[in-house]
Amino acid sequence: MGEEAFTDISGKAISLNCQSHSSFCREFTVSSSKVSIGKVLVYTCSVWLLAYTVFFFTENTAVLSSAILITLVGMMLHIHFVKVDHESLLVIGSLGIQVSSSYASGRETTSFIEMSKIKDIVINEAIYMHQIIYYLSVLLKDASDPNAVSSVVPLFQSSKPRMNCLVKVYKSCQEILSKC
Amino acid sequence: MGHRRRAAAVNNPSSQRVSGAPAEAVRVPSRKHNICMVSDFFYPNMGGVESHIYQLSQCLIEKGHKVVIATHAYGRRKGIRYLTNGLKVYYLPLQVMYNQSTATTCFHSLPLLRCVFVRERITVVHAHSSFSAMAHDALFHAKTIGLNTIFTDHSLFGFADVSSVLTNKLLTVSLCDTNHIVCVSYTSKENTVLRAALNPEIVSVIPNAVDPTDFTPDPSQRQDNRITIVVISRLVYRKGIDLLGGIIPELCLKHPDLHFLIGGEGPKRIVLEEVREKYQLHDRVRLLGALEHKDVCGVLVQGHIFLNTSLTEAFCMAIVEGASCGLQVVSTRVGGIPEVLPEDLITLCEPTVRSLCAGLETIIARHRSGSVPSPASIHACVQNLYTWRNVAERTEKVYDRVAGEEVLPLHRRLQRLRSHCGPVAGSIFAFVAVLNYLFLLLLQWLVPDRFMDKAVDATGPLGLWKQEQSSKHRALSKSATKKAAEPKISR
Amino acid sequence: MGPDSAPDPAVPWRKVLWERQPFPDNYVDQRFLEELRRNEGIRQYRYWSVVKEAGFVGQQLSCVAIFITLWLYMEQGRLSPETLLWTSLVCALLGYGLYQALTSQVEPGCGPRTRLADLQSATIFLSFTFGFSPVLKTLTESVSTDTVYAMSAMMLLAHLVSFPYAQPSPPGSLSLNAALFASVCLASRLPGALHTFAMLSCALLVFALWPCLLQRLRENAPCQFAGVCLGVCIVGVGGLGFQSPGGAVLLALALMSVTLLCPLLLVRLQRHKDNIQGPWDEAEIHEDLSRFLH
Repeated sequence: MGEEAFTDISGKAISLNCQSHSSFCREFTVSSSKVSIGKVLVYTCSVWLLAYTVFFFTENTAVLSSAILITLVGMMLHIHFVKVDHESLLVIGSLGIQVSSSYASGRETTSFIEMSKIKDIVINEAIYMHQIIYYLSVLLKDASDPNAVSSVVPLFQSSKPRMNCLVKVYKSCQEILSKC
Repeated sequence: MGHRRRAAAVNNPSSQRVSGAPAEAVRVPSRKHNICMVSDFFYPNMGGVESHIYQLSQCLIEKGHKVVIATHAYGRRKGIRYLTNGLKVYYLPLQVMYNQSTATTCFHSLPLLRCVFVRERITVVHAHSSFSAMAHDALFHAKTIGLNTIFTDHSLFGFADVSSVLTNKLLTVSLCDTNHIVCVSYTSKENTVLRAALNPEIVSVIPNAVDPTDFTPDPSQRQDNRITIVVISRLVYRKGIDLLGGIIPELCLKHPDLHFLIGGEGPKRIVLEEVREKYQLHDRVRLLGALEHKDVCGVLVQGHIFLNTSLTEAFCMAIVEGASCGLQVVSTRVGGIPEVLPEDLITLCEPTVRSLCAGLETIIARHRSGSVPSPASIHACVQNLYTWRNVAERTEKVYDRVAGEEVLPLHRRLQRLRSHCGPVAGSIFAFVAVLNYLFLLLLQWLVPDRFMDKAVDATGPLGLWKQEQSSKHRALSKSATKKAAEPKISR
Repeated sequence: MGPDSAPDPAVPWRKVLWERQPFPDNYVDQRFLEELRRNEGIRQYRYWSVVKEAGFVGQQLSCVAIFITLWLYMEQGRLSPETLLWTSLVCALLGYGLYQALTSQVEPGCGPRTRLADLQSATIFLSFTFGFSPVLKTLTESVSTDTVYAMSAMMLLAHLVSFPYAQPSPPGSLSLNAALFASVCLASRLPGALHTFAMLSCALLVFALWPCLLQRLRENAPCQFAGVCLGVCIVGVGGLGFQSPGGAVLLALALMSVTLLCPLLLVRLQRHKDNIQGPWDEAEIHEDLSRFLH
């Protein structure tokens, strides 16, 4: 299966890549757009201009050097902790679900939920900032009461795809979940 | 993009797919609306407005309309919930200021309310209660967005004091370009028309209703060796609890077999406790405290006479509930109460201790002579007077009428505000309306409508909740809805 | 735009909700708002009666003026404290006699206070004031004179604003305290301790006892009451006239506007009054329900 183009909740282009490894093992990868050079330039320039204005009045060169430091550190922190390049969801029937997100710096975080803990995968609605959005989430079983839900794990938290993308992932997941 | 196509189909019954639509939609040719009820007051808060919104919504869903409710978050209850029959409730995170009413700035609720209106494809916004700031905000935003608006007024106001002068002015501003107003009694209509300076022809009278199955008589619960007077109301000044404090000793001294059963809580409880203390009536006057709605009937059926001492009331649900349980009703003649029950079911008195005592004494005398009608016959008279189905039918007519009316464009709205609300208030609110419009444009630029996912309908012509009823997945309603939704969306 | 369908004239509309009527929900009947009442229980004022009531306000204004005039005379040394004390004593005795006469006319022996009690309280007050007058004299020494004047002016204004004109006997605590505070301030600027004592006794007479007498007069002899008010006003204006003619003119104008112009406005504007009453109003409880509790 190949790449499909979708948009996220604010209208930016994202792409969904579905890979079918076997009949009960599928991987979904949502990739967001890369860090745009223009945006980086705008932020850097604005910080530097601000620093130069301060320097103009105070004539303290430490301001300029700290501004350079701040932009560099800020950029690194951003690509390391904030900017997510792609998020993937690996569903393996009878085994579990692996959720991983890789940051622009190459850092990856992965978590695994075993099938015995999973109750269901659903599309839910939530109020996010000043919007109401749909999101895909994994419902975890309560250890004491098998019918109750102990907690909800939201998926694709940083890319926030829209409904049509979520439905596609949801359907494939349900196909696998219903088999086991 | 299956959504977009369905969005167009909602307002056009002929192109409906029959597959998901309930049977009523096919049978009744009338137009279906997407209604958003907005009020600060909704469950888990309890009261007349709350149950009105809930019951009306349920009956409208039954008639095939799509209904969603928007209210503010109550404690940890925020986000989106589904109630019986797929009634979707948005608990929006807005700051509560006073008495469960939200703070208003005229602007801050626009992003969320717009989101609700757009994603639910709302055609009619129905706001409830003049005490609710959120309802007025929603009316204001809906007019800015260009939706038809309806307002239901549940309460009466005077004209005498400064606070009512101010609230009446705000009501005038809020209602001057609202398409239609609903009042619960003729007295309430007169009051609202005067307060908001309205054309009486855009004000409809649709009474409240009572679910007669909840309130059925059970004479076995009565104790025949005594006469019990039941009072169920909040114990506040407006409900005339001071009068009750005068009636209790008067009657208890005359009739040794008379008992009072008083349900409700409030600041005037102390009055009743003092009376009970002074006249040593602990065994004859029982104060039950706050009652849950489900317990009310159990208390009512224990009594012979229902007493209402309200000093003002738009439409008194309590007396209908009392009569529905087969009690003789004695009430003050205030507000809309004389319109509610026919003369043979109610004894109306002036709001004085002497008049109420006289009224109660005639009923007590009739009881002793055995000439009162049986509870079952009273219940039979009352049970069909006020039903939620009837209310929903009449409200539906209002929706049909409003759907054909135009929403004033901005320039005409400004003209109307300035011509109708006086030069000062009119100009101020015209300015606010312009700001609101600019804010809306900003929001539409930031998050265009086309980037908002249209919500999956749980109710209405394309509602999916009916399928859920038969499906196996009932454990979690939310997930079940989505499962039911799945085949349609991916088509 | 009219009601949804034409009503059937054969069936009259009734203002009831329990009956299904053949009218649309937004039907507006002839009887719509027929229970609306306007200006119910409104009081129709007559000009001269309002003027008479306003006379009380005018004379209180004059009393303040008279007090200030007396203080000015004292400060300039044109009035000795002894003269003021003797005059006050005579006035007080005359007033007390008149008060007793007016009281016995209406309720003989009903008053709980005996003459002995009156005498006792008068003695206590006078001896305390006399004893403390040196203290009061130096009380505001450290405060600048301008501050004292400004303070007294404020307090006298507060006295006039908060004075219970409808029921001036006994004078309201706020107004009486404000007036006494102002008189202590002013008296402390006088040259001697006896001056202070005389001024304070005079203040007590003017601000505490005189309104009580006047109230009795208003109740029992309304004709004389108007004359007394007029007299006080004339004395106030005249007294001030010797000290500052400009002040006297201002006072006269103020008195005219309070007693003549304001009542005229009240009576004229009365016809624009538009009170709306109807069945939606909250019922009022007129009975005294506390009898069930106490």
